[in-house]
Amino acid sequence: MLEILKRRFRTGIVTTGYPAVPDIAPPGFRGKPELSGDRCTYCGDCVSACPPGVISLEKVNGEEKLTLSYCGCIFCGRCEEVCPYGAVKLTQEYELASKTKDDLQTIIRRKT
Amino acid sequence: MKSQYVDTIKKEFKEFVIGDPALVNETYLTLKKDTNVMAYVDAIRKEFGGLITGEAVLRNEVYLTIKKEANVKICDYLYHQFNTPLVSIFATDERKTDGHFKVHYVFSCDREDAFIILKINIEEKSPQYRSITSTIPVANWYEREIQDMFGLVPQGHPDPRHLIHFEDWETGLYPLRKDFDIRTKPKRVKGEYVYRRVDGEGVYEIPVGPVHAGVIEPGHFRFSVAGEPILNLEIRHFYTHKGVEKLFENIPFDKAVFLAERISGDNSVAHAVAFCQAIEKIAGVEIPPRAKYIRTILLEHERLYNHLGDIAGIATDVAFAFGAAQANMLKEDLLQLNEYVTGSRLLRGMNTIGGVRRDIGDNKDKILLKLSTFQQEFRKLMELLMETPSVVDRIETTGRIYNDIAKELHVVGPAGRASGIDRDTRRDHPYAAYRELNFKVQAHKSGDVYARTRVRADEVHESIAIIEQALWSLPEGAIKNEVKEIPDGFALGYTEAPRGETIYWVRTEGGRIERCKVRDPSFCNWLAIEYAVLDNIVPDFPIINKSLSLSYSGNDM
Repeated sequence: MLEILKRRFRTGIVTTGYPAVPDIAPPGFRGKPELSGDRCTYCGDCVSACPPGVISLEKVNGEEKLTLSYCGCIFCGRCEEVCPYGAVKLTQEYELASKTKDDLQTIIRRKT
Repeated sequence: MKSQYVDTIKKEFKEFVIGDPALVNETYLTLKKDTNVMAYVDAIRKEFGGLITGEAVLRNEVYLTIKKEANVKICDYLYHQFNTPLVSIFATDERKTDGHFKVHYVFSCDREDAFIILKINIEEKSPQYRSITSTIPVANWYEREIQDMFGLVPQGHPDPRHLIHFEDWETGLYPLRKDFDIRTKPKRVKGEYVYRRVDGEGVYEIPVGPVHAGVIEPGHFRFSVAGEPILNLEIRHFYTHKGVEKLFENIPFDKAVFLAERISGDNSVAHAVAFCQAIEKIAGVEIPPRAKYIRTILLEHERLYNHLGDIAGIATDVAFAFGAAQANMLKEDLLQLNEYVTGSRLLRGMNTIGGVRRDIGDNKDKILLKLSTFQQEFRKLMELLMETPSVVDRIETTGRIYNDIAKELHVVGPAGRASGIDRDTRRDHPYAAYRELNFKVQAHKSGDVYARTRVRADEVHESIAIIEQALWSLPEGAIKNEVKEIPDGFALGYTEAPRGETIYWVRTEGGRIERCKVRDPSFCNWLAIEYAVLDNIVPDFPIINKSLSLSYSGNDM
């Protein structure tokens, strides 16, 4: 019993102050993938590489639209790996909870 | 001596060797001294000559096609005469090629680092074959699985009920047959499932689940008790059967790695590596030495956090909250280290066909430092647990699985080693860098929760030693070999997951997966729990369950 108490005091507090104190994921973390509208050429390589199929490319009304949904994203980083232009990057961002599905999408578009 | 064997194999089985004859692994033959897997084959040939209709040797896998009627005899001979564990049974639908279904029995020759696979052909118009379950009880679930997924009936099976299909599943629909479309939505029908009954004065049934109190997956447990002691337990699973094996047949190779990773969430590296190894074997690709070492490090990292989680769970279930908190703290440290090194707490996304996707070399010092502090803390934790009478009293002699039962049921991994089964895929069928590293396989004899806890604790120290060795001798160079084309072929891939032996058998055809059979360790170990709880009291069930560390997801594929 005494031993347990001693250990208890030695251990101290191990929990962090999150969320009041931000907890930053380490570099190289497989977090939210982000699309860069400037670099993307809408080639569709990421669309065919994505294992859960959450990236889609649409062509409507003279507009190309690339949508990435975080709903089913498994953060594998295949999109980042296959993109020849460096237009997709996995970030350290992990706070993705949201009340609407729309918030869980990122869309880039361009006129054709 | 060695070249003689190689020549004999090349000459005698030329027509059976699939792919490049050079694939007949010469290094494998050099490893054999006096004994050789071909000695087993010779013995079978001598005993059952006329019943063998085809032979093929591929690396360390010997495929023997035998007559359908001879399956019980030859399996029995191989299993009991040579003590070769039956590690998997699976069927394939090859009606397209030769009009037959095939059932494969995979036996592991541990001493020879080889596998003998017996194959039988089953005609479509009489989809039956003789059950081997009465002679080899391990076959029980496999045969029932094949019955549900392929519609091949094991005649004389002592328990022919459905295993995977539920009572509302339409009869005559077999999902793994090639003519079953993956988009099929079967209609629900009425049916009934009959549980075993234990009758007698004062005997009660306690049904538990499938929905449980904690955030865990579904499974039904039906206890028959007289007072507190358990007289019988019947488990029913497969509530979340996801059709993973069918899914494999419908996705490309690169995506399949991620699927394998997700079959059993906390054994993801072991599954991914086993799958990649099977494909690499088919493609005849050797991965770079650095990749082998990185894979080994990842596999051991996975073992570490799993074992810590299990130890924490056992402490929780014996109501030793302080010990559990301390163990969980250490587990969290490991998960954070995983995240730091690989970007993923559960080590996902690291493996790929041909090697690994990310290097971990820069983090060598950080890993070594973390692990040395971890080891000190872990030692203290185990002292605390094993010196607390309220813990030891609850786990000693609890949930005993005797060696003979463990053997009959093919209990694998730490649970098997705690019952005196001295098997470990890392040593018996070395893969990744295990051949070059020193480690001991920890086996205990008593087979109770105490022994299972001890085995895990000992393995934690071994794992740390393996990681340290691997980091110190991490070779320089590339981490991935490009695998451009995957030829038609088939091969086994295997790893020792934290839960035990994990086996993949993959067949490729025309640049896609034709069949992928996954044998998760929990598929074997779940049956052991029905025995482990007998004569124990109901309140000890959670501890026994935790000590066996069973995966629902890996089982209900």
